[in-house]
Amino acid sequence: MSRILPKTLLGLYLLIFFGYLLSPLVIMGITAFNSSAFPRAAPWQCFTFEWFDVLAGDTRITDSIVNSFIVGGFTVVISVALGLAGALVLTQIWPRLRASYYTVVIAPILIPGVVLGISTLVFWGRINTLMGLPDDGFLRNGIFLTVLGQSTFIAAYCMLVFIARLQRFDSGLTEAALDLGATHTQAFRKILLPFLKPAFGSAAVIAFLASFENYNTTTFTFGTYPTLTIELAQKVRYGINPSISALAVIIVGLTVLGALLNEAYKRRAALKGNLKVKDVASTPKLPSFLARNPASLALIVLALGFVGTVVYAQQYSPAQCKAHVQEQKRLEAEERRQEMLQQLEERRRKAAEAAGEQQPASTAPADSENPNTGAFGDVFNPGNLDATEEAPAEPESNANPNTGAFGGVFNPGNLSGEEGETAEPEAAPAPGGFGDVFEPQNLESGESEQQ
Amino acid sequence: MEAVRGFFERNGVLLGIYLLMGVGFWIFVLILLPQLAMLDLSFRHNLPPGLVGGDQDVYTLDNYRHFLVGNPGNPDRLSIFGWQTDVPINVIDMSVFVRTIIAAFMVTLFDLLLCYPLAYYLGQSKIGGFGRVFILLLIIPYWVNEILRAFAFRIVFGDSGVINVALMAIGVVDQPVDFIRADIALYAGLGYAYILLMIFPIYNAIESLDRNQIEAARDLGSPWWRIHWRVVIPFAKPGIVSGCTMVFMLSAGALAAPQILGGPSSLWFTQIIYQWFNTGQNWARGSAYAVVLLVACIVIVLALMRLFKVKMGEIGK
Repeated sequence: MSRILPKTLLGLYLLIFFGYLLSPLVIMGITAFNSSAFPRAAPWQCFTFEWFDVLAGDTRITDSIVNSFIVGGFTVVISVALGLAGALVLTQIWPRLRASYYTVVIAPILIPGVVLGISTLVFWGRINTLMGLPDDGFLRNGIFLTVLGQSTFIAAYCMLVFIARLQRFDSGLTEAALDLGATHTQAFRKILLPFLKPAFGSAAVIAFLASFENYNTTTFTFGTYPTLTIELAQKVRYGINPSISALAVIIVGLTVLGALLNEAYKRRAALKGNLKVKDVASTPKLPSFLARNPASLALIVLALGFVGTVVYAQQYSPAQCKAHVQEQKRLEAEERRQEMLQQLEERRRKAAEAAGEQQPASTAPADSENPNTGAFGDVFNPGNLDATEEAPAEPESNANPNTGAFGGVFNPGNLSGEEGETAEPEAAPAPGGFGDVFEPQNLESGESEQQ
Repeated sequence: MEAVRGFFERNGVLLGIYLLMGVGFWIFVLILLPQLAMLDLSFRHNLPPGLVGGDQDVYTLDNYRHFLVGNPGNPDRLSIFGWQTDVPINVIDMSVFVRTIIAAFMVTLFDLLLCYPLAYYLGQSKIGGFGRVFILLLIIPYWVNEILRAFAFRIVFGDSGVINVALMAIGVVDQPVDFIRADIALYAGLGYAYILLMIFPIYNAIESLDRNQIEAARDLGSPWWRIHWRVVIPFAKPGIVSGCTMVFMLSAGALAAPQILGGPSSLWFTQIIYQWFNTGQNWARGSAYAVVLLVACIVIVLALMRLFKVKMGEIGK
């Protein structure tokens, strides 16, 4: 009993933790394949690949990816060079200065990114003015500023990577090389650099990823060269559609791929070290590197799945399903329309009865019949609804049913025909009165076009 | 002079020049001078380009005064626990500032509570296949773009998001809950973004803890919570403070998540800075606000380090 409870709690905790960690990404991934114009996982409409096409056709996204790569490349070079220098100096600096030095170079990691971006922008603007360069000069160039702004703190990441590696370095090796007659440059190139080689790889990868996903600093410095992150932020802030989810699917896929490759490589290196004849013999069916290496296995499954998906995507067409959904919506709208009409009818009858008691001579019931249907008639026309669903590119079409609904109701002719009929104003806000106008999807899809 | 010659003797001329140039460029051109330029600008008036450097370009405290008391003629007055004073106060900016700091604290606390158990579990159990998978799962969300993470939370917490659909399906609520307006989505998204930065420092610290210490405490009859309170937490303190520092600084300085997940009526302090720079076109005031944010963060972090007796050198390990 006392053993089971902690285990259950641990399991529950792990479930919550990784649920929190992974479910947002999974849900976002699912929305990339739902044909609904607003990214959502439920209700499910149709399985589709169209958002990937939308993404590929978005030139702003593709242009910004190029910018991201340019910025990332420069940032990697500068940050790795500065980080290496920073780490090497740390090993040699006077002990008394070391703490202050470390504080200064580690500070950019802790300084808010917006502050780094602002200070870079202000500083180089000032230099630009001092040197009397034109306003669109080199020092105000978005790529130049972004690279420097990002390098300020990414160099510190790289430095941490190099420090970790340098801590395991035996400085006796360099001394031995010097004793044997090597020059300092030779000792550095032949002893220290080869030892640091793995650190160069990880520092470069970390620097590139950090540069690629940076937003806070870049948003102040990018000028006329928006990176992918900036472009994404613009899109997400001013209306969202599932092509962003599609991009997320690609990025998550690449991340998983990279992580698995790295893991498989590490495992393989580890296995090479202690592979024994016995181990190979015990698994005759699978090649040994697969049997002992779940990461490569996962990698192969992933690759097969990817190829399968691409092949499937070439042939698959959601047109039929979409037509079905459309039909479904039309039917629903029709149903709602009938319902509304019935309700109105009933109300009118009641009102008419009430009115009839008060003014027996009134002809209100007969008159009110027609204007009413006229008022709502347009709204309930299936064609209208289809237009709002089909054409998110025209925000005006959203507004039209609205004016239609109110326009008819507030027509003076209506009112005069319905003296004493209190039911009418209530009818307007009744559910379904505006069709799908208030459905979030409509608003969002309209919104997404405003940017 | 002696030191400089020693330095070049140890490294050789080429390498020595590279080291000095590299570190000098980084520290002065990238780190210190830009901060000083920003500080300088924050004490100036917002002038059109033609007037910069002219007679009117003098130092002023206007921008900081604006942060504290608002525009001249601001009708809002400071009240302390209901006691009205005569001091004018910039209610909007100050409340956003205080709210940002408090919220960043809460996000840090949330991450600490969430991550400590896993860090302990990973640090104390031998990292086998499971541990490796866990670490892989931890790293993947971290490398997904910041914007996309916030976007994912917007999908999850939106009006027609999975949570609302699920809540309405079981019948807990009949109207969608507005998680965005209530800022729940924002806090969840911020906490999510910095999980890794909390977990790894703590994990690194706990990993080096000798299991025998825990065994000894258990043998001496200590209950589990006292083992953590008296043995594990004091040992892992540098890791905990390091993680908390990073999470606090990053969430106080976050911009993307508040822009995407923030409710329409609530701002994050970085958003106000952003507005002064972009829509406001008042770089001087934006710089002043950035300085306020920077100084506040540094003061808070230094105070915490002093309080918990942790040195700067232990951050970032």
